[in-house]
Amino acid sequence: MQIGKPIIVLVDDSAAMRAFFEQVAAEAELAFHAYASAEESLSFLANRQPSLLFLNVMMPNKDGYSFLKELRRHELHATTPTVMISSKDYAQDRTAAKELGVLEFVAKPISKKAIRLLIEKYLGAGHHSQ
Amino acid sequence: MSDSYLRFWGVRGSYAAPHESHLGVGGNTSCVEIRSGDHLLVCDGGTGIISLGEQLMAQSELRELLVVFTHYHWDHICGLPFFQPAFSPAWKIKFFGPGDTAAEIEQRLSDQMKAPYFPVEIGTWMADIQYLDPQNRGLAHGPIDVSYYSVHHPGVTYGYHLQVAGKSVVYVSDNEVQFLKTSIAKRIHEFDADEHELLERMVSEQRCAEVSAIEGVDILIHDAQYTPHDYSRKRGWGHSCYVDTVNLAIDANVRCLYLYHHDPTYDDEQVAAIHRDCLQIICERKSTMECHIAREGMKIPL
Repeated sequence: MQIGKPIIVLVDDSAAMRAFFEQVAAEAELAFHAYASAEESLSFLANRQPSLLFLNVMMPNKDGYSFLKELRRHELHATTPTVMISSKDYAQDRTAAKELGVLEFVAKPISKKAIRLLIEKYLGAGHHSQ
Repeated sequence: MSDSYLRFWGVRGSYAAPHESHLGVGGNTSCVEIRSGDHLLVCDGGTGIISLGEQLMAQSELRELLVVFTHYHWDHICGLPFFQPAFSPAWKIKFFGPGDTAAEIEQRLSDQMKAPYFPVEIGTWMADIQYLDPQNRGLAHGPIDVSYYSVHHPGVTYGYHLQVAGKSVVYVSDNEVQFLKTSIAKRIHEFDADEHELLERMVSEQRCAEVSAIEGVDILIHDAQYTPHDYSRKRGWGHSCYVDTVNLAIDANVRCLYLYHHDPTYDDEQVAAIHRDCLQIICERKSTMECHIAREGMKIPL
């Protein structure tokens, strides 16, 4: 059971994308952690499960698919709710994400309003303020 | 002729185009040979690899090679079931491509050689086959250093950066340049004015990543599949408009660009027209970059 504020984790090498999320998180009743790479995010994800994970597909070193496959092999993240985000918008990528059990595949760009709606959709209303 | 060279065995994208009107450019799909002394590296196994295999079987100096795949779409692997060295016990062949493990690479390549799609499975390959474990970003094949990065195409697709004979060569067969920029332009109405600065940063980030991957290389072999007219109908198919390709190469100070992955519906004259327009763009931008059509059979000393 989740106690306290919901925890949102974003893994994306785009500083601009992280800034979009940070602006949403600043207005919301939630804990937010952003990381620029899969490797960096393990400082959190190695031991903790977020309420919702936003994961970018194309990143240097380790792409989002490989990373989510790794995470899924661990009991802690076997069912971690995950939204895949990407500058790519191809059917093959949507299929690959679906096979990894993601909630949704969202093509960039993603507005702050869209981020708020995604959080509300998967965590329920009341975790953000307009 | 230097003992290091690059040779195009297949230059078409999507599917083979063995029509008389296309053969000045070439009809086979993706395959490029990189030779440095007694080391041979092959990029992709489209139908072009079939003729390469025949030539390799006709010589006796070389019995080992590395084949790297950008991805596993048919036009990049469909020559492999007819690659004769794989069926010969005299050969040692290493394979590498997208995948988290060597077993995953093997599975991707073997899946096309199964009944009812093909009469024999990879178990009939008699060569010493090794699938390289993708633990590191860098590979080495004798004097050829190989590194790779993800490019913008359906599924996981790699571009390869090769360092050979003192030259840098980047092979990007399939890549849709500037995709995020055009996505933002199409959907700008969804964003508030205060978000526009962040969107500009996103476009800038994408451009920096595209440029830095090929910055200053001696030879760039890059997807230039569509005319602007066709790209307007085929945006989101994972390939570039040649205008975007040539502008990217100029921005990255590439020394020499080879237009690659030609659309199979374009005949020799249509590809020549694309080349003329690229030269015009290079002239207008006052660039000194060389630009050529990648033609089947073309051999470039390194």
